[in-house]
Amino acid sequence: MEISANTKERQRKAAKRREHFLALVLISPYFIVFLLFTVIPFIMGFVFSFMQYNPYMPEQNEFIGFDSFARIFDFGDPISQKFWSSFSTMLVFSAVNVPLAILVPLGLAYLLNMHPPGYKVFRAILYLPCIISITIVGIIFGNMFAGSSSGLINAWLGTEIKWLSGRPWENDFLRWFVIVLANVWMCGGNFVILAAALRSVPKSLNEACEMDGGGRWERFLYVTLPGIKPAVSICLFNSLIANLNLYGGPYVLNEIDNESLLVTPMMFIQNFLLGGAAYARQTGFLCAAAIVFGAVVMLLSMIERRAMDAKKRRTSYAEEYALIKGENSLAEGEKENDEKEA
Amino acid sequence: MTKKRRRTKSERIRRREKIISFICLFVICVIWSIPLLYMLGSSFKSDIDLQLHPEKLFPSSWDEWTLKHYTGFLVRDGKIDKMPIWMLNSLWSTAACILVTVLFDLITAYALVFLKFKGRNGIIKFLFLWMAVPGVIGTAPGFVIFSQIRNALQMNETATYLYIYFWLIVPSGTGIFNMLLMRNFFLSIPPDIVDSAKSDGAGHRVIFRRIVCPLARSTLLLIVLFTFTGSWNNLVWPQLLLSGEDSYWQTVTVALTGYTGGSGWGQVGVSMATGVFSLIPIIIVFVITQNKMIDGIASTGLKG
Repeated sequence: MEISANTKERQRKAAKRREHFLALVLISPYFIVFLLFTVIPFIMGFVFSFMQYNPYMPEQNEFIGFDSFARIFDFGDPISQKFWSSFSTMLVFSAVNVPLAILVPLGLAYLLNMHPPGYKVFRAILYLPCIISITIVGIIFGNMFAGSSSGLINAWLGTEIKWLSGRPWENDFLRWFVIVLANVWMCGGNFVILAAALRSVPKSLNEACEMDGGGRWERFLYVTLPGIKPAVSICLFNSLIANLNLYGGPYVLNEIDNESLLVTPMMFIQNFLLGGAAYARQTGFLCAAAIVFGAVVMLLSMIERRAMDAKKRRTSYAEEYALIKGENSLAEGEKENDEKEA
Repeated sequence: MTKKRRRTKSERIRRREKIISFICLFVICVIWSIPLLYMLGSSFKSDIDLQLHPEKLFPSSWDEWTLKHYTGFLVRDGKIDKMPIWMLNSLWSTAACILVTVLFDLITAYALVFLKFKGRNGIIKFLFLWMAVPGVIGTAPGFVIFSQIRNALQMNETATYLYIYFWLIVPSGTGIFNMLLMRNFFLSIPPDIVDSAKSDGAGHRVIFRRIVCPLARSTLLLIVLFTFTGSWNNLVWPQLLLSGEDSYWQTVTVALTGYTGGSGWGQVGVSMATGVFSLIPIIIVFVITQNKMIDGIASTGLKG
């Protein structure tokens, strides 16, 4: 008896060890690549930021402590001035574009939710621009808004407005306008998410609110908005990250021949890296700037998450309704809507 | 005699809503498609027509339609021009990205869900935390490591090309979002199915191939679509890796930035034609899978 129990125990242990080994084999490719290409550069970023680092002259490398960070916050330094001006441009741009990237798709999704004929065609047309690469979007919008009279928009308006030649903070309102327009045109991702969320708001709630005398606006405020809040939160998060890391739009949409044109922090970093040996001396400074920038991105996205989670929930109609009927009506809404459509 | 039923008030409102929203959306969609129509139309316009009639979306008369811009970039001086090469670069690297991503996601998610081992929960928590870390911190050091190794190895041309594309393709396989998507799907597979297969004597290989993979087909399709659009449209990292290299090596998205910015403007016809050409794969995939794609993005909350 004892021997067989022992053998069983040993067999179980062997099987367990085999399973551990198999698991190790299966997860190791992913995590080795992850470690080599993601984690190590990330750690190196912190190491470099404390160094005077030049990949072309390794003999000059030395640890300089917090000097790079001190230089970033020394506003007299020309490079850090460029960094902060790109930073403020990005913040202003996000402040304008993120609300637009929610409100426009929300309006479109609200219209679509009335189920007009040709629902799927409309959805596809409105979604399509967001899978087109920013380069192509740049080519299209750049030629549409070309500064001479050969541009489509100038030809339509009969003007010769220089849409894209403004320099940052000097008469560049028009250029930002075009970039915002291109971004709104590409809002398909948010639009699709919000349209699906609107669809899952239970119709019975809307009807009940209507019975109680709620107008269109009240229904939107107390039934629809609380119902789609999670989706709005996701869209807000996505748009925020995308706009903070803005690179393609300002890069392709300009008509200026100026190598040192820096408008967003991503362009600042990219321009330095593309500069090759000339800028290699600044690698440590660049890593410090990336850390400051990354910290701000993380902070803003965390604030967004916190705000959407903790904001005191509007007394939503769904909750009152659920209290009266004693059921979780929101969860059943989708099913119910599907049944109605079927 | 049937009396025509009078519509109730709410029915009338619904009807009116439908008509109003149809009209609004129709107008909006016409405006929305102007840029794409403009691109398509301009690519067929002759140079003279582009100069004389900039206000028209399409060529002004039937005689003005031309394929010159398309044939122009495909063949030059009897040799294949750069554009088809760029397309091939993009195509093969995108295919490789998809392959690596799918492979990594499948086996890693399988191990994380169906195999019991120490530290499993720790790994998942770590990945969730890492999703919040901004990738920009690693960009500069990653590029430094990339160029240091390249300088140290002293490779010939082919090897350099492969080395660059290795740095383009392999790191993209470790997208955390896709992996967690796969894992979430695996978690939703009822454990009874796997358990009963196990009690029938099936090993992990059989379970993986016969049960898990066939079930995961729709999630896999989503991951493929996300990776396809993401990698085809990727600009920042490839631009960094391919800067200063042979212009034949570039991907389409990187190469076409040459038609924009600064002195790049001006060749409207050619740039529009290349734009249309480079959109073909995306449009084909979109037309075939649009409903799956849109529903997938809506349900996973990923911006495409």
